[in-house]
Amino acid sequence: MNRHHIMAVALLVAVALVCTLAAREFVSMYRPDEIIPGPGVKTVGALSKYLGNLIGTSSDASVYYLDSGKPGATVLVLGGTHPNEPAGFMTAVVLTEHVTVLEGKLIVIPQVCASGFTCTDPLEGYPQSYSVQSKSKVRTFRFGSRGSNPIAEWPDPLVFLQYPSGQQLSGNETRNLNRSYPGRSEGTVTERIAYAVMQLIDREKVDYAFDLHEAAPEIPIINAIVTHEKGKDIAASALFTLETENLQFALEMSPVNFHGLSHREWGDRSSVFPFLMETSNPIQGRLRGKTEEALILQGTDEKYKEAAHLGTMRITYELTGEPLARRVGRHLRGFQAILNASMEAAPEKRIVLQGLPTYEQMLERGVGAYLK
Amino acid sequence: MKQRVVLLSSLIFFMIALLPGLALSQPKAKFEQPVLITSAGQSADVTIAGMLFKKANVQAKAIALAKATDLDGVKTLVVVAGFSSKGLGAAGISREQELARVKSLLAAAQEKKLKVVMLHIGGKARRGNQSDDFNKMAAEASSYLLVVKQGDEDQFFSKIAAEKKIPIDLVDKIADAVQPVGNAFAK
Repeated sequence: MNRHHIMAVALLVAVALVCTLAAREFVSMYRPDEIIPGPGVKTVGALSKYLGNLIGTSSDASVYYLDSGKPGATVLVLGGTHPNEPAGFMTAVVLTEHVTVLEGKLIVIPQVCASGFTCTDPLEGYPQSYSVQSKSKVRTFRFGSRGSNPIAEWPDPLVFLQYPSGQQLSGNETRNLNRSYPGRSEGTVTERIAYAVMQLIDREKVDYAFDLHEAAPEIPIINAIVTHEKGKDIAASALFTLETENLQFALEMSPVNFHGLSHREWGDRSSVFPFLMETSNPIQGRLRGKTEEALILQGTDEKYKEAAHLGTMRITYELTGEPLARRVGRHLRGFQAILNASMEAAPEKRIVLQGLPTYEQMLERGVGAYLK
Repeated sequence: MKQRVVLLSSLIFFMIALLPGLALSQPKAKFEQPVLITSAGQSADVTIAGMLFKKANVQAKAIALAKATDLDGVKTLVVVAGFSSKGLGAAGISREQELARVKSLLAAAQEKKLKVVMLHIGGKARRGNQSDDFNKMAAEASSYLLVVKQGDEDQFFSKIAAEKKIPIDLVDKIADAVQPVGNAFAK
């Protein structure tokens, strides 16, 4: 064996090693996150119950039913519409693991865009996961991408024609669940998820539905409640309550001609009152510095701090940071305030929750205190 | 003597402590009902303003896209200023069309000799380039400004109020605006 052969073998071994390590990383993203049903969960199902062709795909999300067995309102909460917005996902996990329903029914889908949790967005340098100390152990959750995994839906078209409106959006938006409603049963994977959610809303007779999001601090629609015109009075009443607690939310109305969004299509095509909430998440922003796990959890970023301090652009960033606990606390408090306002508007549709952490408790004890 | 001094000092202290509240509760101007509430910029703050007037027991109807014809029978026009791109989308109009609508509505109110009140309750979210054209237009045409402080951190509204000699009340939060609204529209 001459020198060239030795070099070639060494190179092959090195390539095999790198490929093996990369493959392990790749496959690890398909390992489901552990979500431990709490005492309130009566049944665990799957989104494929509402559309059979999702069975066996990476897009079939778990559905948790928290049913009091007593009559009342049926409420749906979606986390993980955009898997790179962890506060929406974690809020849904806290509801699943910690809350009990005393009246009415709560349906929670923490990872509605399930395949989006199997990859991160290219060129962003995002961490693949983050860990939270729960009551019993360190829990690790995947940080995903904005849309469905491209492997589940390849290739993206040059232009995404939203169904059925025909609205034109950039090609990669074809994998964005929050542009895909109402979806179609034989459409792309993302359209099928959207269709299954619409079916769930209809079949379960959902009264109030929540889609939990986050956005970059420089996005104008932030710390906001977005709703369909039929939900505006409930949202305004909730906002009033939240404001007295020094929690400011902007109220935004769903644009009539912007199709595919949950707050528009759910409202137009079902009897549900839809609400979408946004918090400020620095790891999604263009100004961010070091992109690491700590930025997801503590939400402190020197560049945003500097920008907020300069005040030359409008950004929503607290100088002490935007920690995950605050973002989840805002979602939970906004959720409760909207439910309270909806019960004022329709007292016969009650939903009573036990064990829902307050905003202050969440700030003081952190998200992990409410995870198993 | 010592007792009197203590009593007098306590009284003065008490009155000073009450001054800010008194200042807020003194209506800067009186406005008549019924009221038409409209938006300048199509933010959903117009819905919140409707709720605020209801809490203050002021007879008002809210029409986000009010036109000159909606002013018939109205005694005061309330303009809720602040831009929202989602709101414009919901209304199905462009920013330019909204600017033109507000301009023409304010002109019609002036022609009908109606008093105009401006509310800015959206804080920082309703400031910046997109909002300030609406904010300025509405503020300059008004006889009274009621502003949530967060939207006036740079004294944008205070400066307009000082220059144009328009009474202004600044409140900490939206809920605090109920009392000044009630005072301004007290029958």
